[in-house]
Parts: sequence; structure tokens; C-alpha cells
Amino acid sequence: AAAGPERPQVVSHVQQALSYTVFDCKWVPRSARLLCLGSAARGTGLVQLYELHGARLELLREIEKPKPIKCGTFGATSLQQRYLATGDFDGNLNIWNLEAPEIPVYSVKGHKEIINSIDGVGGLGIGEGAPEIVTGSRDGTVKVWDPRQNNTPVANMEPVQGESKRDCWTVAFGNAYNQEERVVCAGYDNGDIKLFDLKTMSLRWETNIKNGVCSVEFDRKDINMNKLVATSLEGKFHVFDMRTQHPTKGFASVSEKAQKSTIWQVRHLPQNRDVFMTSGGSGSLHLWKYEYPAQRSRKDSEGSEMGVAGSVCLLQNVTLSTQPISSLDWSPDKKGLCVCGAFDQTVRVLIVTKLNKI
Amino acid sequence: MPVWLREHSWRQTLTAVYLSLPLRGARATPANIFCSEQYLKVSIPPFLFEAILYAPIDDTNSTAKIGNGNIFFTLCKKEPAMWDSLTLANAGKEKLQYLRENAVLKAQEKAKQETEAKKITKQEQKKYALEATMKLEEAERKRIEDLKEKERQKVATELEFWKNQQKDADKYKSIQKKGEFRQETEPLKERKNEEMNKTRIPNEGTSKIRLKTTKGHGSCSIFSQNLKEEQLPAPRAAATIKVNFTPRVFPTALRESRVAEEEEWLYKQAEARRIINSDLPELEDLKEEEKNPDWIKEKGNKMFAMGNYLGAVNAYNLAVRLNNKLPLLYLNRAACHLKLRNLHKAVEDSSKALELLTPPVPDNENARVKAHVRRGTAFCQLELYAEGLQDYEAALKIDPKNKNIEKDAEKIRHLIQETMQSS
Repeated sequence: AAAGPERPQVVSHVQQALSYTVFDCKWVPRSARLLCLGSAARGTGLVQLYELHGARLELLREIEKPKPIKCGTFGATSLQQRYLATGDFDGNLNIWNLEAPEIPVYSVKGHKEIINSIDGVGGLGIGEGAPEIVTGSRDGTVKVWDPRQNNTPVANMEPVQGESKRDCWTVAFGNAYNQEERVVCAGYDNGDIKLFDLKTMSLRWETNIKNGVCSVEFDRKDINMNKLVATSLEGKFHVFDMRTQHPTKGFASVSEKAQKSTIWQVRHLPQNRDVFMTSGGSGSLHLWKYEYPAQRSRKDSEGSEMGVAGSVCLLQNVTLSTQPISSLDWSPDKKGLCVCGAFDQTVRVLIVTKLNKI
Repeated sequence: MPVWLREHSWRQTLTAVYLSLPLRGARATPANIFCSEQYLKVSIPPFLFEAILYAPIDDTNSTAKIGNGNIFFTLCKKEPAMWDSLTLANAGKEKLQYLRENAVLKAQEKAKQETEAKKITKQEQKKYALEATMKLEEAERKRIEDLKEKERQKVATELEFWKNQQKDADKYKSIQKKGEFRQETEPLKERKNEEMNKTRIPNEGTSKIRLKTTKGHGSCSIFSQNLKEEQLPAPRAAATIKVNFTPRVFPTALRESRVAEEEEWLYKQAEARRIINSDLPELEDLKEEEKNPDWIKEKGNKMFAMGNYLGAVNAYNLAVRLNNKLPLLYLNRAACHLKLRNLHKAVEDSSKALELLTPPVPDNENARVKAHVRRGTAFCQLELYAEGLQDYEAALKIDPKNKNIEKDAEKIRHLIQETMQSS
């Protein structure tokens, strides 16, 4: 929508039509290159590496793999290596060296069904602690892997014996502010959000947001957990204040209904943790800013600390496509540069302006 | 009888005639004056003045001034010539009559033309106004577009600049590293061999190559990377966390908008299970298991599979008497009736099944598709093709990917067309 001259604008810089379905797109750290991961028509997986050249994308490499690829991350790799970890439709977790992609650097058949979501922590010079990768799958389990340990995960969150499984749709790391602390947040199709503490290997918190959870993300992985955004079906998202956990009420939250259709992804701006973008099933992107309340916590009637949620305000929104925008990634190196992939087989590079003025 | 006004005076120039007509006390308005090319009339009852002009005049440009008990005409001659007199001398009665009528007709025509001309000018003015507003809006739009375009270009150039910065930084770093690398190869090879337990072999080979071409701002030498590796904690001790899920009956994802429907369906199912009519006298000699509608339904299904359609119908009848709220009983009985060609009964049973399969949730999709298809088939066999097509289309709506249903629907459409053409 047209806006006043001071609001951030979402400028469409490059549009690239693809000949396959793109499920995930990621910037290669410290570069002007991006990756598109997806599924070709003949049922194989594709990784394409593009470089930004002026007003277009130049294809540098194309790598084909036997199974369609659903998601990928650079989160657990070092800046020198920049290996890509991917989850595919068959439940395999692979880590690839893009310079020599024929044989994976690490490979395990981690799950019995498709890996819906993947996240990495401990790499890229961010934070401390061991590099770890978490995968969430349709088989109802969430597993944490260490690339130095073959075959077995270092943590496995699986359903109790005899319990019918629910699809895990999204996973995210958080709270990794020192070498020991780490949490994993997982969202499921029945509306459950669960927070697992990896230091104590226990369930720290769970809640249900009444709609299938499409995407969860902490505003920063490598700090004391501050905020968590969870998006869901039916156009809703919730922002949880993670600084104060009440013994029974859990974390305070504010929710917003942004649009009629599913909100597929949320991504925080790497350079400003209170700004995030949501992408929707109607092909639109919404840019939000979280405003903290005057006091972030207060005491309840029994004297326990309780969090106070703030508010979100919409900075800008734009409709780019008629199909859902299923993946979104901000560039960690250039503020405002982002890439999004939609189900109309197009990947778009966008620039969001005036983010300095927020 | 009108009173003729005869006292008029006139004078002329080469191009115009000036006529002065005194009105004997009568008041004149423009409506009383009637003028055409060669005929001039002033009629203020009971006074009347009429003149057939010597030569035609241009009546649109001629004027009449009313005032001072007098009408002063300025008539522009069509052809500049001097008139012998104001009026035509020997104007016969018929000529007079003819001229009068002519004049009236001409006047009417002129009036018509004037209204049309007026309409046309009005339209043109409207068009002009519209075009003007469109131009203004277009200009506004263009202005906004230009602003946006400027923004875009600014941003694009910034991006190019940043990218080139990156490239230059990388080149510089790699040159630096090449120098460092050559100096430190020997001791590093030994170190790397030590580290082979922790890292993989392909890792080692490629990490060396990596250092030549790496584009990172991170640690500049291999030394600091190794140090970092040593500082990393060991992999976590493996553990499992058991998870309980918020219970949900349906395998589909939870959506708030569907919750009400799903609850209704579950409630109905639960209620249906509870109803058992167990006070029918004939049932006393049945065994316990034979009073279970599900068990009887299973028996019916087996008989259907073996081709014993009458037996299956009997089984389903009994089951229905025990519990008349189970949609699947009616659904299966409809299938039997189809095989037995009891088409009306098949329609009835499919309809009853559909009634019981409300509200429509993804859970009972299969059943609803089957019910529609069976009822559609029955209609078609009764040659009620339109109703049959309706049911097939309903089935397609629920399950659009089913090729068989599509094919059959096509066939029915053809049949309908043929019957329409032949009738």
C-alpha cells in the first residue's frame, strides 16, 4: 500500500522465475549470493546458487539430489566452511559442502517422514557452544544433531509410547547465550507449542494457540531469550515475552490477526530484533514492529512475577504474488535486503528501505 | 379580426434594414415576434403586423429591440443590395399563405437544429471535463511512480556499491591469506593430522582449499580456527524427552474456524453409537453379539463381497432397526440396492446417508463422495440424468482429483446433450 514518505517501503528489486517448486531460500552468509532449495517436477531435489548482479540473478551452480529438499540452514556452520544443512522429503538430514556437493559431509536418515523444518545454532561466529542442528518432522519427533556425532541425535523429543503423533511443522533454537544453555521451540499442527530445555533435558513450557503452528522464531538465538513469535493458520500470530515465566500462566503474549489466510513464515530483522516480517498465504508480506510495554513484568496477586506483553504495530504491507510466500530470509550482511520464495515458482529479492529511521 | 399595424417606418443601408414599428400602447415580449428568412410577423393580440420582405435576410443575426412603445428591428440582408421597398409588392394571397407556412416550418427546423447543436456542445464539454480530470489523475499517479522509482534506483545503486565492497574485501583477504598460507603450511600439516579424530577427512581436504578462496571476515588464520575447535564443548550426552500432545481426534491440522463443525460431528457420532433399540420382541432370541449393529454391518459387508445381495440387504435392515443413526448402514444398503436394481430404494438410502453425514467435515469426506456417486448412478439408471449429474458434480467438488468420477460426469453430460438434441 502507498504510504507516507517516512514509512519503510518494500521495493521489489529482482524477480526470478524458476522451473521448480521452491520450498526454502537462504542467503549465503558474507556474500551477495543466495540459495534456492526445492523440488523439481520429476521428483528430485534441487539446490540452486544465485548471485546478485545489478538488477538480475545469475545462476552460479545447480545441484540435483535424489530426494526433494524441504528446508535448509547455515546456522551451525563456521564462516570459513559455510556448509549447508538440509532436510528432505524422505527424512534425511544432510550437510553439504557446496564446493564439492557430490558427497555430503554428514548424512543421517533422521526421521521416518519429511523433515518440515530445520534450524542451526553455534555457527557463523554467533554465540557460543557446540554447533547443533535441530529438525522437526511429520513423524512427530524433534531431534537435535551434532555434526561431530554420527547416526544418533544428541536429543530426541518424541511422543509418549502409544500416543498418536502430531506433525511437527516448525522448530527454532533460542537462549544460546553461553556454552551450556540452549532451548528448542517446536510448533505442531494441532496448535501445540513446546519449549524444550536442552541443558536440563526437559520440557520447560507448553501451550496451545488453537490453530496449527506454521512458524516459530526467537528474535535472537544467541541471547537470553527475549521474544518468541509464533505464526499459525487462520492469519494469526502471537508474540510471547520470554523474559518472565510465570509458574502456571507461562509467558505473556499479544496476538494479532493479520490477514485471512495462513501466515507461513516469520523472520526477524538480524539488525533490529524488534522488527519482523510475516509472509502470508495470500502472497503478501507484512512488516511489524514490537513496542515494549512500560514495565515488562509485574507481580500477580500471589506475588509471583508475571510478564506483560507489549503491542505490535504494522509498519508496511505489500502483496507480491497470488500464491503463498512460503519462505523468507533477511540478509545478515545488508540491512533491509531480503529474499522470498513463493509457490508461484518465483523467487524475489526485495529491499526494505528506511529501516534506519524506525 | 386582428388590428393591423400599418404605421411603420424603415430605412436601409446596403447591408441592413432598420425598421421601426410603433406599438399602440401594447406591450411586446420576444415571444410575440416571429421572424424567418423572408417573413416577419409581430402578433400582440389584437394587434398584428406582418411583412413579406423584399429579399431574404439573415434572421439569426438580425435583432429586435423592444422599448419606448416601439420595436426597432435591425435586419441583416442576406445579399447586399438596395431594396425598392420593405415588402414585396404584389404578394398574392396564396403566395402569402405559402410563405407563412414555409416560414413556420423553417422556424421549427431551426429550433430543432439549435437544440441539437446545444446537445452536441454539452456532450463535448462533458468529454473535455472528463479528459481534463483524467489527465490530472494520471499526472498524480506518475508523480508517485516517479518517487517510487527514484527510491528503487537509489536502493539499487547502494546495493551494487555494497556488493562491490564485499568483492574487493574478499580479494584483499584472499591475497593476504595466500601469503600467510604459504608461510605456515608445514607446521599446519602436522597439526591437521592430529586433529583428524575430531574432523572428517573430506573436511580436512576441503578446509585447506577453502582457506584459499574463503570470503569471510572471520578468523584470518587457520590457527585461530583450530583453537576455536578445541574450545568447543563435546557433543551433548544423548537423551530423550517424552512428549504429550494436546489430544485431537482428527488427523488434520487444528483450525479455529472449523472447531464448531468438528465438535458437532463428533457429538453426533457419539450419540449414534449410544442409541440401541433393544425392545423389539423378535430380537430376544438373538445372541448378544448379534445385537451389535457394527457386527451385523460386518456380516452384511461380507455377504455383499460374496455377491449375496439379498442377504446383505437383510443384514443391513436388521442393523438399521437396532440403530437408525449410523450413516454407513444406509450407504452400504444403497450399494446393495444398486446391484439389485432397486433404484428408487438406492436413491432413498443414499439420501438418508447424506442426511446423517452432516455437518460436512474432512472426516466423512469419503462416505459423502460414495453416497453422491451411488445416488448419481441410481438417477442415471432411472434416466434422470440431470439429477444424476448434480450428484456427480457434488462428488467432484468434495474430491476433485478422482478421475473415475470425472469420466462418468463427462459421459452423463454427453448423454444429456444427446437427449436434448434428439428431442
